[in-house]
Amino acid sequence: MAQTAAAEDPALRERFERDVLPLLPNLYGAALRMTRNPADAEDVVQDTYLRAYRGFATFKEGTNLKAWLYRILTNSYINTYRKKQREPQTVEGPDDLDEWYLYDRLGGRNVELSAETEVLDRMPDEAVKRALESLPENFRMPVLLADVEGFSYQEIADIMGTPIGTVMSRLHRGRKALQKALWDTAKERGLVDDDDA
Amino acid sequence: MTTPDCGPNCEEALKQIESFLDGELDVSVHEQIQVHLSDCNPCMQRAEFRRHVQVVIRSKCTGDDVPPQLEHRIRALLGEPPAVS
Repeated sequence: MAQTAAAEDPALRERFERDVLPLLPNLYGAALRMTRNPADAEDVVQDTYLRAYRGFATFKEGTNLKAWLYRILTNSYINTYRKKQREPQTVEGPDDLDEWYLYDRLGGRNVELSAETEVLDRMPDEAVKRALESLPENFRMPVLLADVEGFSYQEIADIMGTPIGTVMSRLHRGRKALQKALWDTAKERGLVDDDDA
Repeated sequence: MTTPDCGPNCEEALKQIESFLDGELDVSVHEQIQVHLSDCNPCMQRAEFRRHVQVVIRSKCTGDDVPPQLEHRIRALLGEPPAVS
């Protein structure tokens, strides 16, 4: 492997180990949601760490390290994995879905909030992960970055290299699609009655 | 869309509820929505539901175990022996 800037600079390397290595579980989890496959997620994360290590000297300390890493992760996913998969870019979205799809189906106005949310609480982690992973990539990415990773709209725009308006629109549509996916999952798992289908 | 029938402000408030929950509104607009929610139980219930969905997604879509071999490969990248696990 070529010598990297960080490898030649012990202080830089130390900072990389201190600040970047602990984010491995976050980056691996995000890569899993992106690739939907453990082997591909490993490749994407390894490539991300290699790129980050090589470019770490250019990272300005005190700026947003997590967003910087997720940008590398996203680029790595797009450049390596998606080329391989040739997954078609979905531009159409679930526009016809109701804004309150899940809320209305889980009981809506006449029941206690706890009864509605209990269904979600009972859903196994794996089921929620599969529901998120079922979204088309264009919608899955902003939902992942906002709802799982907690990035702001502007940070997501920077990470994905898209205008903030596009982020907001895809996030909105992605969340609607996720509501439906969660409902479908709850039905499949027998957590709700099928009356409303 | 099923909207609560509790007043003329509901539609406007619910239109912005997503940005409100994301903390992406200007302070003055955020406060207006906050005031509306504290006066309007149906809208508050919807907002709370959305917030809960986000909490559930965040808590259930994390915690994947990192494969030990991946961590070893990344530590090797840094030129140090893999940690003994």
